[in-house]
Amino acid sequence: MSLRLKLLLLGLATLVLPWGGCQYAREMESALRAGEENSLQAVSQTIAASLQGRTDLLYREAPPPADAPDSPPDENAGYAFLHSGPYDLKPLALAAAPLLDGYSDDWPHDPSAWAYFARDDRHRFGILTGVYERMLYVLLEVRDEHPLFDAPGTNPLDPGTFGDRVWLGFEDSQGEERQVFLAATAPGPVTARRIETGEYGQQSAPLEPRIRGAWQPMSHGYRIELRVPLSMLGNGFGVLVDDRDTRGADAVSYGTLRSDDLHTLGRLIVAAPELTSYLAQFMQPGLKLAVTTPSGRVLARADALAQLTGLGAETPILARLYRRFVDRPGTRALLESSAPIYDRDHKGVIGTLEVTQTANRWIRLRDHALMRMLNFSLSTSAVAVTLMFAFAAWLALRLSRLRQASESALTGSGLVTSFPETDARDELGDVARGFSTLLQRLNEYTSYLRTLAGKLAHEIRTPLTIVRSSLDNLESEQVPPSARVYLERARQGSERLNAILIAMGAATRVEEAIGGAERVSFDLAPVLESAVAAYRGAFPERAFRTELPTEPVVIRGAPDLIVQMLDKLIDNAVDFSPAAALISVRLRLDAQAALIEVDNPGPALAAHVQGRLFESLWQSRAGPDSRPHFGLGLYIVRLIAEFHGGEATAANLPDGSGVRFVVRLAR
Amino acid sequence: MKRLVAIVEDEPAIRDNYAAGFMREGYAVRTYANRAQAMSAFAARLPDLAVIDISLEDEPEGGFELCRQLRALSAELPIIFLTARDSELDAVSGLRLGADDFLTKDLSLAHLIARVNALFRRVEALRRPNTPGEIVRRGALTLDAERMQAQWDGQVVLLSLTEFWIVHALARHPGHVRNRQQLMDAANVVLDDNTITSHVKRIRRKFQSIDPKFDAVQTVYGMGYRWVE
Repeated sequence: MSLRLKLLLLGLATLVLPWGGCQYAREMESALRAGEENSLQAVSQTIAASLQGRTDLLYREAPPPADAPDSPPDENAGYAFLHSGPYDLKPLALAAAPLLDGYSDDWPHDPSAWAYFARDDRHRFGILTGVYERMLYVLLEVRDEHPLFDAPGTNPLDPGTFGDRVWLGFEDSQGEERQVFLAATAPGPVTARRIETGEYGQQSAPLEPRIRGAWQPMSHGYRIELRVPLSMLGNGFGVLVDDRDTRGADAVSYGTLRSDDLHTLGRLIVAAPELTSYLAQFMQPGLKLAVTTPSGRVLARADALAQLTGLGAETPILARLYRRFVDRPGTRALLESSAPIYDRDHKGVIGTLEVTQTANRWIRLRDHALMRMLNFSLSTSAVAVTLMFAFAAWLALRLSRLRQASESALTGSGLVTSFPETDARDELGDVARGFSTLLQRLNEYTSYLRTLAGKLAHEIRTPLTIVRSSLDNLESEQVPPSARVYLERARQGSERLNAILIAMGAATRVEEAIGGAERVSFDLAPVLESAVAAYRGAFPERAFRTELPTEPVVIRGAPDLIVQMLDKLIDNAVDFSPAAALISVRLRLDAQAALIEVDNPGPALAAHVQGRLFESLWQSRAGPDSRPHFGLGLYIVRLIAEFHGGEATAANLPDGSGVRFVVRLAR
Repeated sequence: MKRLVAIVEDEPAIRDNYAAGFMREGYAVRTYANRAQAMSAFAARLPDLAVIDISLEDEPEGGFELCRQLRALSAELPIIFLTARDSELDAVSGLRLGADDFLTKDLSLAHLIARVNALFRRVEALRRPNTPGEIVRRGALTLDAERMQAQWDGQVVLLSLTEFWIVHALARHPGHVRNRQQLMDAANVVLDDNTITSHVKRIRRKFQSIDPKFDAVQTVYGMGYRWVE
């Protein structure tokens, strides 16, 4: 794993900041929610308490007289409305007023709210009631195979004109039973009529304009939609359908009115219209209040939930994205709270107050904080990651520079002591300085080694001279013949020592010769030719072959040095080739250089040897030799090649049969 | 009267060995360890020949200084530098100061004595001006083996003893290649290839300073040198 990647991962650890922020936001949200729930509970209890015992509001029924101390303590005994009978109607609390057009599509779809009354299979109707503001709305669906309208334009009291009719019976606010009927001569709007008996017993049927509706046929029957002001209504309410198959025929009557005197059988259990306005005074945006019966039917509600536009379209995309990370599924429901409404004696429950609040308020609060926090921490993370990445890249760059410098310093021919990054004041600078110091020491050491041979040669020469001059003197003395042999051995030893000294000083002398060499233009070919001819004499146990170009190869340089270089190459070739081997000396030309190639059969070069062959004091000879070797021969080759603006290389022959040394000389 | 050889050498063992060798040959020998000793003695009496080491005790170049002072006292006095150093630069500086020869201590005592004898012969020959010695003439070259003197086009070429013997060995058989060993034998020295090369180079330069077109010493690469007329 690269340093860059590691630091990048480390930088990603700063993402714990936004994560922590999200956790905090959640905590904050639940705390806010708990607080809101508490306050909502307090609100609902307050409102419920204010409605305590208000049966007049809840059920349009006066509370039982307070001066009835002996009233039975059994629960809800006084509240008949809490025990509904079979003919009782329980209107829905409508959210909007239905349009009086005889169609049911603007009514809430609530099958359980329908009440059905039937006489037999062919005679039945369904009734759905609802309250909106101060009106009672009634939807009546009558099953009738032969819907029949009244004969138009006639006296509605003439029995011969009677078609299907619907009677409404109700108690008025004073408890008097009243009846109106609906009779339509065509589909469309219809207004109720009431029957009045005049001073002299004559009957008339004036319109009752407060009760209006619409009559529409439907498949297998007809539908009537009508509305009645609640102010007209007391407790009792009922509907009776008169079904006739022909005009004027006897009607088949059924419904929730007594068929003889049309008195109401059931009641209308509905809250007073004032309850809604009473609830409305507690309203706030984002709040919904509802009063229900103990069984759960809504009596009245005030709804301002939608007034607070939530975090809808206008919220920024970023905020919605953040919310996706923070919100747990299911936590965005509405806040709900309910409180029982007690009767005046605080014994029985007459209803329930339900308060619903949208979560928007605290969600918005939380979102605001969350967004700021997330923006801040995410940008912090981004900056941190970017900085770390940049830093890592910079570090990696410096490290790779350092590595390259160290590699090139160690593989190059001469040691480089100038090192990058040594001016840096951090740990990398320390490393670079350490490297630099190390290389300097190494350099000193190798240059010491390089001059060691020369120095040694010089230092040994004086004692050697003492030995040799002593031997010279001794030779002139009277030495017994038996001692002569030792004298001779001492002389041989000192001669060998002298040869060693000369070999050791060779590189130094070549360096000096190079320093004092003069460059002249000369033809390389005859020089090689002549030198190889000499080698034929010097090494009779080897064969030599020359391959020289026919045209002159003129270079600038020192021919003496070239011959010396060739001497070393041939020495090397002879040493590493078997007896009778053929050594080839080739001179080639390329665009910039003249190439001297010396091929000799023999063991191949090992891979680790190739780079070091031309170093000073380095040799790969396996065993001891009669002649002294200090690993200077090929070093001298290199020195002379470099003096001629070229280089020396060595490689194995392609067929592996031997080694080829190539010296490039600049032309 | 015995000839007096002065040996200025700071290494006592070498000094005494050389002194013994010279005395055996019949020379009178004075030995000095440093320049001050030598100079005070030379001021009193000049030797007939001086063998001087370059580095003397605490003076690494003391021999050069001594040579200069000695040359100031006498122009003819043969001076031989004998040193453990074999650097080209030292040789050039020594010979430029007017030394007759520059030798490294590899030289055997016998060789050294041979040189000293030769130098004395030269001194003798120079003192007998009109006695013709063994003269070798090769074109413009005239070699006087007695005086160890070379002339090119009638002008004297100032060669050191070693250089003279090399030229002599080459010019005696023109056209014959003399390899390095042969040249060393002729010059009574043991030298390595580079030193021979630089001797030959110096010889050429000295002739060329008289005749820029001098080209008589030819290199036969890998073999040696020859004199061409």
